Amino acid sequence: MNLLSTIEISSQLVTLMAALMLVVQLLMVVQRMLFTNIRLFAIQSLLLAGIATVVAYAHHAGHVYIVAVLTFIGKVLFLPWLLNRLVRRIQIHQEIEPLLNAPASMLVCGGLTLLGYVVARPFTSLERLGNNTLAVAITLLLTGFFLMINRRKAITQVLALLTIENGVMLAAVALTSYGMPLVVELGIFFDVMVAVMVLGILVYRIRESFASMDTSKLNQLKG
Amino acid sequence: MNLDPLALLLQTALLLLLAPLVSGVIKNWKAKLQNRRGPRIWQVYSDVLKFLRKDMVISEHASWVFSFAPYAVFITSLLVGLMVPMLTTQAPLSLFGGALAVIGLLALGRFALALAGLDPGSAFGGMGSSREMTLSAIAEPAMMLSIFTVAITAGSTDLSQIVQATQGPTWKLLNPTHALAFAALFIVLLAETGRIPVDNPATHLELTMIHEAMLLEYSGRYLAFMEWGASIKQLVLMTLLVNVFFPIGIASEATPAALGLSLLLYGLKLLALSAAVVLVETTNAKLRLFRVPDLLSAAFVLATLALLSTFLFQ
Repeated sequence: MNLLSTIEISSQLVTLMAALMLVVQLLMVVQRMLFTNIRLFAIQSLLLAGIATVVAYAHHAGHVYIVAVLTFIGKVLFLPWLLNRLVRRIQIHQEIEPLLNAPASMLVCGGLTLLGYVVARPFTSLERLGNNTLAVAITLLLTGFFLMINRRKAITQVLALLTIENGVMLAAVALTSYGMPLVVELGIFFDVMVAVMVLGILVYRIRESFASMDTSKLNQLKG
Repeated sequence: MNLDPLALLLQTALLLLLAPLVSGVIKNWKAKLQNRRGPRIWQVYSDVLKFLRKDMVISEHASWVFSFAPYAVFITSLLVGLMVPMLTTQAPLSLFGGALAVIGLLALGRFALALAGLDPGSAFGGMGSSREMTLSAIAEPAMMLSIFTVAITAGSTDLSQIVQATQGPTWKLLNPTHALAFAALFIVLLAETGRIPVDNPATHLELTMIHEAMLLEYSGRYLAFMEWGASIKQLVLMTLLVNVFFPIGIASEATPAALGLSLLLYGLKLLALSAAVVLVETTNAKLRLFRVPDLLSAAFVLATLALLSTFLFQ
């Protein structure tokens, strides 16, 4: 095996990890258990942190390391812990009830992936690190939206929102070759953190008021 | 490209002898992981030898299909095995067909098996056949797509050439399309060999069984051929996984040293894959039959994405 240059290896690594993020996302679409879903989200975030580390190493961009560390602490450790605690507290041990069944939603997500690839096609020829990750990022975004629509329970919609955020982060880290300015990254990061905490409280309140987490029941609200 | 009788003979012997060993190792490790003592690794050989010596009881309603099917299953899986490169990059029968022939022959064997399940007219057999055909309708396209993914990268559907192409200097460990295709093919392996999320060959509960239901009417020599054929098919699929996706150390020329190294690495790779299968089997519960298509459609979509990604990630 000939020795590849650092850039080439890191480009391959970024592409591989992005593809694995996509695989994890698709697994989340078919997986029904809530705890497994949270664990899958943690794995996806771990891959994102890995991508950030590789990008930081390849471009010698110090502040991207901070992004990687923050992603690791926030999304791999803190948010899954928070969500797990929430799930325990509101005692929903039943499975997620999607609107479409698993094979159908898998096919829809396959179609969305195709759409993501087609949309990203004109931009993939750029000579950048992991230049194909834009397609994966767009796909994560689209399937995230689909997940949000497809699921009734509030907490799974929070998870879907988090995967959308992972997609945005992936695009930001992998495509702009030095990552976004640190201030913007930090802003987005804390935004999401606070959003999830607020949503967690909201989910708890919904559960308290309606004895259910089904967001379609919110239609019954009267002023 | 000519037929090498020695290579043909060697690979046939390897297939026949190694297949029960792999099944035995998986059974033994699975038992160990579940804190049972488990059968000895060699138990499958003894089973097959014992079945070969026993008398056969054949239903009086059974037609010639019933006695034809065991040979069909056995011979098709053996032929497929001879088309897949095991120790050298040149498979003995590769000149007769590539990936398409492999998939076709596997389908032929499954067809014979399903017919044999229906033939004696027992309720269980027909149920097993219908289940098998339902599941294979989704598993087969997934297998085809994931093999074609690799074929596109190599530019040929000939398995020997695929292995040579993936082994050459352009070989890339970090190819994401291969990761997707490998995941899909691994799920197909679980489904095709009757592993736990899909099927449980160790029980005789009518709710769970697929493969066993079709074999219920068989006894004696025919059962031996069926079991042996099934284990050969399992070995062939595992070989496909380890050699096409991780073609490290496959001998490109037939010198004894290269062959020895190749055999050693092949054995190690098979053991690693068996360990993965055992791990999946012990950590997962058997899926309800109606949930199995969910799993298989996941494999199908993964394979489709792998195929699409070949055009994107290159």
